[in-house]
This record gives sequence, C-alpha cells and structure tokens, in this order.
Amino acid sequence: MEHNGFIQEQKTLEGDLNSDTSHKNSVDFLMNWFRKRSIFVLAYGTGCGAIEMPPTFTSRYDAERLGIRGAATPRQADVIIVSGYCSYKTLRRIIRTYEQMSNPKYVLALGSCTINGGMYWDSYNTIKKLEDYMPVDMYVNGCMPRPESILEGFLALQKEIGEGKASSWQKYEENYEFYRKNQEAVLGEKVEPSYDADWYLYDVGL
Amino acid sequence: MFKEIKKRFATDDVEVKRNDLYKVGIKYSRLFELIHMLKDEYEYRTLNAITCTDWIEEGHFALTYMLTTEDRKHTFMIQTMINREDAHAKTFSHEFKQAQIMERDLHEMYGIDFIGNENLKELSLENWVHTPPLRREFDTLEFVNNNLTFREGRDDNVDTKAETKRLRALKKAEKEAAKKAKEEAEAQKSKDGKLKDEEIKDGK
Repeated sequence: MEHNGFIQEQKTLEGDLNSDTSHKNSVDFLMNWFRKRSIFVLAYGTGCGAIEMPPTFTSRYDAERLGIRGAATPRQADVIIVSGYCSYKTLRRIIRTYEQMSNPKYVLALGSCTINGGMYWDSYNTIKKLEDYMPVDMYVNGCMPRPESILEGFLALQKEIGEGKASSWQKYEENYEFYRKNQEAVLGEKVEPSYDADWYLYDVGL
Repeated sequence: MFKEIKKRFATDDVEVKRNDLYKVGIKYSRLFELIHMLKDEYEYRTLNAITCTDWIEEGHFALTYMLTTEDRKHTFMIQTMINREDAHAKTFSHEFKQAQIMERDLHEMYGIDFIGNENLKELSLENWVHTPPLRREFDTLEFVNNNLTFREGRDDNVDTKAETKRLRALKKAEKEAAKKAKEEAEAQKSKDGKLKDEEIKDGK
C-alpha cells in the first residue's frame, strides 16, 4: 500500500478548488482561499498542550507547508490556540489577548480540558467549558492531542474558513453581553488583569 | 544533640526517620528558640520548606519547618501545632529570606496570618474571596457545582459500568443458551441412537 499521509493532507486542502459548490461568489471564494492558506498562529501557549505545538510547527510535522505559521503579537495573528486547561488566572490573559487580535480571528481549543474540564473536572480554579467565555471555532480532543491531531484540527478549520463558515469573532461581537456575564461570574467585575508595563517594580514586587 | 533537645525543650517527640532525616515535635512557644539553636549551634542554615497539614478533627494546623545543614547531609523536621481558628504565627522571613514566599503561599492556601511578613499578597490565585482552598472545610466539588457549568453528556451517553455489566450478562446468557442447546442436541442424538439400537434389537 502506498504511504501517502502528507500527500493526503495536501489533497484535502486543495480538494475544494475543483468542487463546484464553493464557487458561489468568486470574490468571497478567493478571499477565503487566501485566508485559509495564510494562517498566522499566535505564539502563546497555556497549560500542558503548549508542548505539542513546537513539533507541529517545526520540521518534523512542518505546519508551514499548509500555510500555518507563527505570529509574535496578537495584533498580527489570526488564530489563538488555547492549549489545554485554563485556570481563572490564565483565562483573564486569554480574553485580553483575544480581544487585542484583529478580525477575522479564530480560536482553536486543544485537549479535553477545554471541552469539559478533563482531569480538572473538580478543580476549583479551572473553567470547564471554554465556549462559555469566548467563542471557539474548533475543538481538538485528546489528552494531549498529538501534532497529527492538531494538524487535523487546523485542516478542519481551514476547510471551514474556505467555506466561509468560521465566523466566531462575529458571534463574540453579537453575543458580547452573554460572554461578558459569564466572564464576570468567574473572574469578578474586573475582567482585565491589573498590571502595567512595570508592574513588577513597585508594590513590593510579585 | 537529641539528648540536649529532649532535655532543654522537654519533649519526647524526637524521631530518627532516616539516617539523614530527623523529626522533632515541640510546642509553638519554643519554636523560635529551637530553630535559632539549630541554626546557630548545629549549622542548620537552610530553610527548605514550610509545610502545613490541616488536622480538622483535632482543630489545629501542623506547621513543619525543614532545615538542612550547610553540607546538605542532614535534614531536620520541626513540627509544631497552631490553632486552626484565627490561625496566626510569627514570621521567619527575617531569619530566612526564602521564608517570605513560603509563608505567602501558606497564607493564600490556608489563611494563616504570618505576623511581621511584609507581603502576603495572593501568589497564584487572583481576587479570591472564598475560603482558602486547601482548608479542609472548603468543599471543592460543591464550589465547582455552584460556580461552574459542566457540559451535558451526549444523548447516547450511557453509564459505562452498568453498560459493561449488561453486555456481560447478555454474553453469558447467550453462552449458556448455546451450551443448553448443544446439550439438548446431544441428548436427542443419544436418544435417537438408543431408539435405533432398540429398533435393531426389535428387528432381531
């Protein structure tokens, strides 16, 4: 049998180029195609899943051949990966980071912890359902998902972007009150973290 | 050294846990004296850790100070009890600088007030207003149920244990039925054989 794992992925990506259904509006189609082939992923890891991201982006699995690469700042990034469990303290930073990103932006959540709490199901400072606090485009399950699964998740996300279905940022804007209410329920009224550029210098340090 | 401690601090609770690990339990009022003695006279100059155990039934916290010698060959555990309600102790951050952050951690997790510690701000939690989470009266599961929402299971979600039991019972019943059928068939066969034999006998 022919071993064609990577070639298969490539085929999945380019498959809809020839399909007739995606040609509803050629400008939209082209825009979505550009978007899905240049995904800039924010270099930001939370929880244990961050350890699976370096192999995904480096030469072993080489996500860049699919147009997925890193971005250093939230304002230049398209995708934020919430990789693993997120405690209240992390959630604050994730929300702040997410709100700094410019549209269109997508969220990829890794691991069972973001889906239903995972092994932290009875932890007092870990949230159980990420979609209560921010919109999620794609969940990748597993504890932890291997780089293959992460790539699979990216491919599924790319497919949704290509079809114009991934629109979580619009959902966030439309249902902002709902998300804000949930955020305030766990984080208190002050959702944003209260530090400045030199927060470690004054007020007796950390 | 143990003899001196026993005599000077009037305690029998001296234990050699390992050939390099010793434990002594004393009253809180003599704690400072003992630690200063170990530090100044016996070269236990490093404070490794301050740990706390919650004895909710007895109504006290057990604070354990771990001291290590300069050559890292001997470790001393000094255990002392403090009252659980309105828990407070004097700080060691002037003798050992590292005690500052350890006490801050204990203050956050158990609510122990270390008098004289300059900074007892939250370390890893943020804006925590409930009971300190490591105190045993804090019910984690209740807290989670009250404050967080779980994802509902799928429609075809089944209790795995019950399902396994059911499947096993089904399999067993199937097996038994098959066995019974086989036995019956064999009995029928032997019956038929006997009949045949009888027929042959009759024929004779």
